[in-house]
Amino acid sequence: MPPEPWTPIYPRPPKGLGQVVLSPVGPEIAPATQVRLLYRLSDPSLSELGLEEFLDELLNRVQEALQVDTVAILLLDDENQQLVARAAKGVEEEVDAGVRIPIGQGFAGRIAQERVAIFIADVDHADILNPILRQKGIQSLLGVPLIVEGDLIGVLHVGSKTSRTFGQQDLALLQVAAARAAPGIERARLYSALEQEHRSAMLLQRSLLPKKLADVLGIGAAARYLPATDEVGGDWYDLFELPGGHLGIAIGDVVGHGLAAAALMGQLRTALHAYAIAGHPPGRTLELLDRFLQAMPDFAMATAAYGVLDPETGQLTLATAGHLPPAVISAGGARLVDIEPTTPLGAMSFGHRPELETQLDHGETLVMYTDGLVERSGVPLTDSIEVLLKTIAPARTAEEACQLAVELVPLEGLKDDMAVVALQNTEIPEVLELFPAARPSELAEIRRNIRRWLRMRGASGEEITEITLAANEACANAVEHAYSPAPAQFSFVASEQDGLITITVTDRGSWRQPRGVDRGRGLRIMDAAMDSVEVREAEQGGTQITMTRQLNS
Amino acid sequence: MKLADLEFDTQDSTTVAKITGEIDLSNVATIRDALTQGVPNHALALVLDLSPITYLDSAGIQLIYRLREDLRVRGQDLVLVIPPVSAANAALRLAGVEHHIKTAPTREEALAGLQTSD
Repeated sequence: MPPEPWTPIYPRPPKGLGQVVLSPVGPEIAPATQVRLLYRLSDPSLSELGLEEFLDELLNRVQEALQVDTVAILLLDDENQQLVARAAKGVEEEVDAGVRIPIGQGFAGRIAQERVAIFIADVDHADILNPILRQKGIQSLLGVPLIVEGDLIGVLHVGSKTSRTFGQQDLALLQVAAARAAPGIERARLYSALEQEHRSAMLLQRSLLPKKLADVLGIGAAARYLPATDEVGGDWYDLFELPGGHLGIAIGDVVGHGLAAAALMGQLRTALHAYAIAGHPPGRTLELLDRFLQAMPDFAMATAAYGVLDPETGQLTLATAGHLPPAVISAGGARLVDIEPTTPLGAMSFGHRPELETQLDHGETLVMYTDGLVERSGVPLTDSIEVLLKTIAPARTAEEACQLAVELVPLEGLKDDMAVVALQNTEIPEVLELFPAARPSELAEIRRNIRRWLRMRGASGEEITEITLAANEACANAVEHAYSPAPAQFSFVASEQDGLITITVTDRGSWRQPRGVDRGRGLRIMDAAMDSVEVREAEQGGTQITMTRQLNS
Repeated sequence: MKLADLEFDTQDSTTVAKITGEIDLSNVATIRDALTQGVPNHALALVLDLSPITYLDSAGIQLIYRLREDLRVRGQDLVLVIPPVSAANAALRLAGVEHHIKTAPTREEALAGLQTSD
């Protein structure tokens, strides 16, 4: 910006001209009344207000104590070796203009480099770099370095618009202010940075956790994630559907805190999901995840547990990597799954992940959790896991299990974040009644339910295959022909009496005989798979197919 | 979750397509399109490996018939790989069409059968 016409243009005086380096003085010289004004600057709670508030307080106190026209704080930009005007009173333009002074140059630059107090009696004839000081009509300046534990963090200076000789008492006061404020500035700065990181990490955490859990009939799922009171960690969980109607349940914990841990957590969660849907079993999935982690530069260690449930058979396959063993809640109480402990991810080059094959029977709930839920200072881990098992034992659903687990969280919050995820193999009712939407995409789900139900009724593998085929054809008929094009529902009822399976599919469309090549073939399949098939007009006008088959056993 | 997945492998004059997962009314149309597009013009035959299939119904059987028609127009042969005990076999058997479609119990036998018929 060109200087305004009436602003005198000063030639910059030679380096160091007009600057008087003052020897430090003892704080006892400072007048007690004024020193009292500066006391509050060392109050730790002040720095928690944030950097802006802290600096504002510092400006006010210094101005009052020294009775000066201007106060300015420049903070060190370490990377660029510059001082940046960060807060000012009377010379606010400094901050607005983003004044930057290279270390070693001018007034403030020299204070920073030599770590000395400098007094300038006559600004007009002294070496200063910042033209704003002259433009504001400042006559005299006094500045001191801001030092924390031997590190320079900035410069604090005061100015007078009338010629003033800053004396030893003034210097002592300014030194006291600098000594008291410097740690506070550093703390507030760190606090603001952490706050910023905490916010980012929270945002990241939230965006990475699944928004909706897999919605499968006959399966109950629930989860909780609670951040630590002051830091974000790397805990995560996941629940997803796998090919063939299997369900994946995963949990993990990245060692460390903050944004980096949260980001790594997101990568691990995504990678695990990717390996899982490619069809890898739990043990192999964790081995691949380990390789993935170790391929990253500067990887951190992490723990994880991953299980695959076949809802049809209740077969549960589990593998862990340095993670706490999952728990199973059944009618008799809660117990830990007896899985061999293994090393965390990132701990060994070739970690083998043995799998545990177990059964999650109807009504049983699998609970996975991170150590944040059970680790309490002063309490042995085995004891707090015992407490967890006792606490969750009465849960009748996955949701209740999570609810009860969260009750273990102390009122004052958690030191570490925690995640808990639960999956229940729910009871299948005696009579299977479904009211699916008349859409082709519903068929797979209906088949999964009828297969589970048939298995519970004691049907053999072949019987399950054949009856499922027949049931699917009846439902496909309802979907294809019963309605068009408006979406609607149909009913599917399956019951069993002394080994006789009866399936009734009723749509509420208009009556029509199944026809077309597809349906013809579908009818043939139903006829071949079942003992009897009856197609008739339903009471309300739609089509009703009733089929029976006697089970062998 | 996608019900089925499809993998192609073309060698010389034969394309092998393997389907995993389930085939029903909801995905027959996309599978048929993918198969027709996945067989290059220079291929003489498609070997459709249905051995990993966990479900196939009348819509899937219809897909096989239509696919055979699509390929016939281009002068291409279709052989299905269907093991004797499999979900695909159950559907073909119950629909009474297992003898109307060219099948082989393994992929190797399907490929060998094509070579001898050349």
